[in-house]
Amino acid sequence: MAKVYNWQIGREMEYPYEDVRPKRQFAMVMDTNKCIACQTCTVACKTTWTGGRGQEYMFWNNVETKPYGFYPLGWDVNILSRLGVQELAGPVYKGKTIFEAAPEGERVLGYLPADLDYAHPNIGEDDSVGNMTQGAFLQPPHLNWMYYLPRICNHCSYPACLASCPRQAIYKRPEDGIVLIDQTRCRGYRECVRGCPYKKTFFNAMTRVSEKCIGCYPAVENNRQTQCTITCIGKIRLQGFLSTPDKAREDSPLDYIVHVAKLARPLYPQLGLEPNVYYIPPVHVPPQYLTQMFGHGVEKVVQTYRKASEDKKLLGALLLFGAAPDIIHHYKVQGNWTIGYEEKGNEIVRVPLREPIHVRVVYDTKHETYRSNAT
Amino acid sequence: MKTITNKLGLMLAGVALALAAAAADAQVIKAARVKGSGPIMEPKATFWDAANETKVVMLPQTVTTPTNPNAAINEIKVKAVHNGQWIAVLLEWKDPTKSDRVVTDEFGDQVAVEFPINIGGDLPSPMMGNKGGRVNILQWRAPFQRDMERGEPTVGTLYPYALNDVYPDQVLRATDARPYMGALGLDNPVSRPNLSPVLDQMAEGWGSMTVKPDQHADGWGVWENGAWKVVITVPMATESANSPRFAPGAKTVAAFAVWEGENREVGARKAWSGWTPLELAE
Repeated sequence: MAKVYNWQIGREMEYPYEDVRPKRQFAMVMDTNKCIACQTCTVACKTTWTGGRGQEYMFWNNVETKPYGFYPLGWDVNILSRLGVQELAGPVYKGKTIFEAAPEGERVLGYLPADLDYAHPNIGEDDSVGNMTQGAFLQPPHLNWMYYLPRICNHCSYPACLASCPRQAIYKRPEDGIVLIDQTRCRGYRECVRGCPYKKTFFNAMTRVSEKCIGCYPAVENNRQTQCTITCIGKIRLQGFLSTPDKAREDSPLDYIVHVAKLARPLYPQLGLEPNVYYIPPVHVPPQYLTQMFGHGVEKVVQTYRKASEDKKLLGALLLFGAAPDIIHHYKVQGNWTIGYEEKGNEIVRVPLREPIHVRVVYDTKHETYRSNAT
Repeated sequence: MKTITNKLGLMLAGVALALAAAAADAQVIKAARVKGSGPIMEPKATFWDAANETKVVMLPQTVTTPTNPNAAINEIKVKAVHNGQWIAVLLEWKDPTKSDRVVTDEFGDQVAVEFPINIGGDLPSPMMGNKGGRVNILQWRAPFQRDMERGEPTVGTLYPYALNDVYPDQVLRATDARPYMGALGLDNPVSRPNLSPVLDQMAEGWGSMTVKPDQHADGWGVWENGAWKVVITVPMATESANSPRFAPGAKTVAAFAVWEGENREVGARKAWSGWTPLELAE
């Protein structure tokens, strides 16, 4: 095992291969507060990439309802319970990663889901568990909470799928850090399916090899954001490239959100993969749960989000979500506008920080009717 | 990203030496000469009754990760014959469960025989060879044989209640549908068998197993009374630079690997043997 530095857990950790960072790293930020689980992203991904035979059950992108929704069934509680209780307090993670907790003779701590675990995505997870009593009302903070968690492959800096593959059929592209399974070299051992804690590699029983989210690389190579990002009707996603914290650029919207404002957090950073999808945590969820899912310091993230409109730079970055299909490399806030630029500096999009408000008279004299929406 | 390979390379060299020494006192597989000229495909042919049987100890693979400490099979019985043109090995082992369905959590039974490509040269590592020590690995797969016997599985046969409206290959021209077929569209040799349940492969170390572009091997298996009997046969000489050239009277070695699908054995999770001497009758 080599020693590599994982900035998300604030320390060095063991990994089967040496640390080789790509030229730039594919990354995404998702605002869970805005997700309504409409599954448009899921369908966009499905129709683009996984319409073939043997891919029927596969969702490279899925949205699950937390805390009781999973795809595949129980994926996160399964790996968390295998890892056991770990110390999460403090910026430096003192517990074990799945590489450090690997049993003798294994490369990572993992498990192979049952075929049936994939069979019923979303079934029952949004069902009511009981009736409200007469006169009951919700008063925050309340015990009844849920939220939606959209998930794709995290294109990790230290992928466990890649570490698990005994024949190096999985590789991380040096040009953009996208993690791919070589469809000509894979022999379908399913070591990656065991190894990936996020369960984002899938076995195709028709081709008898494994497949995974390809980060829409043909789009990314042409400066276009992924299908799941550009089709999102809630504009909850922004996809681009993320620097390491020591090289953070304030004019990159992803760097600003993740590194400068520290508003978005990785999913289960304690597993040690340095995943590159970052989540703005749901503000209404108990901090203990959020800490387990998004790591140390989540309370502060929630506070930052509540005050996001006070930080013009942050507001500007957040307003670029879903604003253009192209990858936004740079941005700046000028007056009432946030302006996004492509890599060479040409303007792509311009969004007002505050939309103009027009107030109409409630009674329309011309049509002799009342307007139901006056602003 | 090479730490693993370096460390394992060192371990491999040590193990190879130990096994070569052990091979010297092991039993010898004697390939008798039989009549005929083509591939030797029949696991129940009468000439097998007269052939010498060698019991080969199968060890759990615990040298490289991932390991298989609880390997299900600890012995296979090996016989060999040749007809001057084709050589065949008959491999027999107890397996109470016939596994030939492959889905996420189901794995197929498999067995493999391995020969050094360069007969008479330095002995490569019995564990899939080493850099400069290439080996030829002929691997029989129960799921491939099932494909040949009963037709390739479809989503409908694997999952009778699956419902799907339309596939790309039903609405697009074949060339346009190809990108939606994953490894099948790229002719990955493990995606579908060609015309044989046996893959003709070569390797020069862990992780380097490659299905050869030219396929020469063939074989067939029979599962009866809780045991597999599998014949693997290959021409004694081909024009391929990555096939061993056997000649009547030649002395070489063979090693074996076996996977019990029910025990989720696949890839490195297997039982394997050291080199066993193999002598071909004149």
